[in-house]
Amino acid sequence: MTAALELANLSVRRGAAAVLADVDLSLAPGEIVALLGPSGAGKSTIVRVALGLMAPTTGTVAIDGRLASSGSRVLVPPEERGMGVVFQDLALWPHLTVRDNLAFALHGRRLGREETAARISSLLDDLGIAALDRRYPGALSGGERQRVAIARALVGDPTAILLDEPLANLDLVLKTELLGVFQRVLRRGRTSTLYVTHDPREAAVLADRVAVLETGRITHLGSPTAIARDPRTPFARAIASELVSTLSATDGRAHE
Amino acid sequence: MSGSRWQEPVITAVASAAILVVCFAPLAALAVDAASAASTANVSLWRLTQLFASTVVTAGAVTLVALGIGIPLGVLLARTDLPGRRAALILHAFPLFVPPFLLALGWFHLARADGALGSVLAAAALFGRAGLIAVLGLALTPAATALTMLGVDGIDPALEEAARTVARPAVVVRRILLPLARPALALAGLVVFALAFSEIGVPMFLRVRTYPAAVLARLGGIAYAPGEAFLLVLPLLGLALVLAIIERRFGGLRTLSALGVRTDRPRWPLGRWRWPVAIACWLVVAAGVAPFAAVAAEALASDRLGEAVTPAIPSVWNSLRVAAITATVVTAGGLVLARALVNRGRASRAVDALAALAFITPAAALGTGVTIVWNRPTTGFIYTAPMILVVGLAGRYAVLGIRPLAAVLSRTPPHIDDAARAAGASYLRRLGRIVVPMHRRAIVASWMLVAVFALRDLETVILFYPAGEEPLMVRIFTLEANGPPAVIATLALLQVGLTALTLAAGVALLGRRR
Repeated sequence: MTAALELANLSVRRGAAAVLADVDLSLAPGEIVALLGPSGAGKSTIVRVALGLMAPTTGTVAIDGRLASSGSRVLVPPEERGMGVVFQDLALWPHLTVRDNLAFALHGRRLGREETAARISSLLDDLGIAALDRRYPGALSGGERQRVAIARALVGDPTAILLDEPLANLDLVLKTELLGVFQRVLRRGRTSTLYVTHDPREAAVLADRVAVLETGRITHLGSPTAIARDPRTPFARAIASELVSTLSATDGRAHE
Repeated sequence: MSGSRWQEPVITAVASAAILVVCFAPLAALAVDAASAASTANVSLWRLTQLFASTVVTAGAVTLVALGIGIPLGVLLARTDLPGRRAALILHAFPLFVPPFLLALGWFHLARADGALGSVLAAAALFGRAGLIAVLGLALTPAATALTMLGVDGIDPALEEAARTVARPAVVVRRILLPLARPALALAGLVVFALAFSEIGVPMFLRVRTYPAAVLARLGGIAYAPGEAFLLVLPLLGLALVLAIIERRFGGLRTLSALGVRTDRPRWPLGRWRWPVAIACWLVVAAGVAPFAAVAAEALASDRLGEAVTPAIPSVWNSLRVAAITATVVTAGGLVLARALVNRGRASRAVDALAALAFITPAAALGTGVTIVWNRPTTGFIYTAPMILVVGLAGRYAVLGIRPLAAVLSRTPPHIDDAARAAGASYLRRLGRIVVPMHRRAIVASWMLVAVFALRDLETVILFYPAGEEPLMVRIFTLEANGPPAVIATLALLQVGLTALTLAAGVALLGRRR
């Protein structure tokens, strides 16, 4: 089966420093992979390279089997990759209403006006924010903005969706509520997802597989249970107990 | 510590009072005197209205030209991998720091019969309203370019990247970047319009009648009639108020919020368009600097360099001295007021608005106001000394000391100052040990900006420069009517050199790292 997103031998250097080194990671269709690592590990660089916002130094990026970046060249520009993204600060365009934020994300899809409107309405309805469609992002609460951001990332029916620490800096109640929302919409739509986080609990709740990224290298790749069982680095040992406790609390969801 | 509590309110009050004196007093005095002069003046209202309207239309056309070129160029320079971007930016920006009159002089040398572009058509087109719009448009385009770059660079990179994942670059520019940069673009339009409307040197040189030139003629020219001049200034005050309202609505600190931010985000590749776009951009850059080359050629072809320069040395010294003192006073006061502005002092917002009003008020109006306020027996010692130049220039350019510094200070986490305060540091100590060292680059940049604008000023100081104390620009302008072209070109080259040296010194200082 062709991977929705495949990163192979990916390296990124900034001057003499290696930001990423020989990263291999693939996302099967409908799979949710959590990219888990401490601050400065290179998680956001992977997102930017996958989106085509920056070129790798070496290695390749393939989307749905199509080579998108190779060596230091971006072969497919970001707008043609068919990816959805939620950035940490959400990046909702402040001068556009909720509906227009979603409509802009459909730009270039050549959908009719009615189909565009129907698709947006359906998604907003599904996420419980249909009544907010004429509001501007500045008039929304934190949770509402998160829902708009995920709706915007999903509205184009992307090949894969990348979420770059979308729940960082939120309080526990809101984070738990939104994790439930993410889980529901991502699972139901069978959207291939790369979920970037530094929180092992989020990874345990959402992911089929977890990739642990430390100083630019993937040190562990497997189900949350497998990583919790066999942590081989100090960071992995530090997160193992959190993975186990979250898995127990969520009734050991079938990750294996 | 209680002994130093007075420092902040007293120092801020002194700086605010200084702004009231140099910015507000001339405008207030002008409003009062103009109203009383209106009843006695004998002028044709219809002709005045026509002249005012044609000047507004001309300034509007200049604004359209500058925005039409400056906005796309600003986006290209800010966001793409255009070849030679840095050099293009430096060369393109330079004409903004030189009096537009010198550019007109350069275009004259290019367009005259034996010039590089010489033809009857070129010369005829230059001396007319179309020539005025083209020369001023090109001269002021760098303001639009620079403010567009600031506006675009100030946008959160994530907003741009999120758009890049779903739309082509051209669509991202049109639907995301430009709407988000609207405050900067509006300010660009406002600044260009205000400078174009104020301009005296270019329209007089190109023999185009404009409203500010009519004011000047009645204050110091052959049509001396100060009562009429005061009356003529009234609509300028109205125009200034309209511009000030627009500035409050769109501009403010937001426009400059990118100052002090490192913009190392990746640039968009232009791909196969890279070289065609580069050629177009470099043509615009060349059009901006070509007049300097023509002036330089004229000056260097002459064997009268010494004859031209020696008598002008006092004017050079005077220009440098006045620019340096003005820049120092404005930057020091600007730093104090910028801090107050960032700390959301209501009074400081009013003072900032006054400084902005003085900047966008047509220079003829501000200059007339300076004359009314200071040309009195009790203040004659200031009015007849070079100090009046500092007072007038500080009034016009105070906003250049306040706004950029406030934009940079607003990016400093408040806890930095709070920590120093908690450690017992007084206001002056925090200013001297924390604020100035942290922001020394911004302070140098602000000083340089004010100094260069003071050096380039003609339209304000020509109304009140003391006899025998004229700055270099005034000397060049007054010589233009009947002086030898080679001498004028040499002095123009000297003025360009002074500006370049000031900018180079500033850049050298800014480039130094700890």
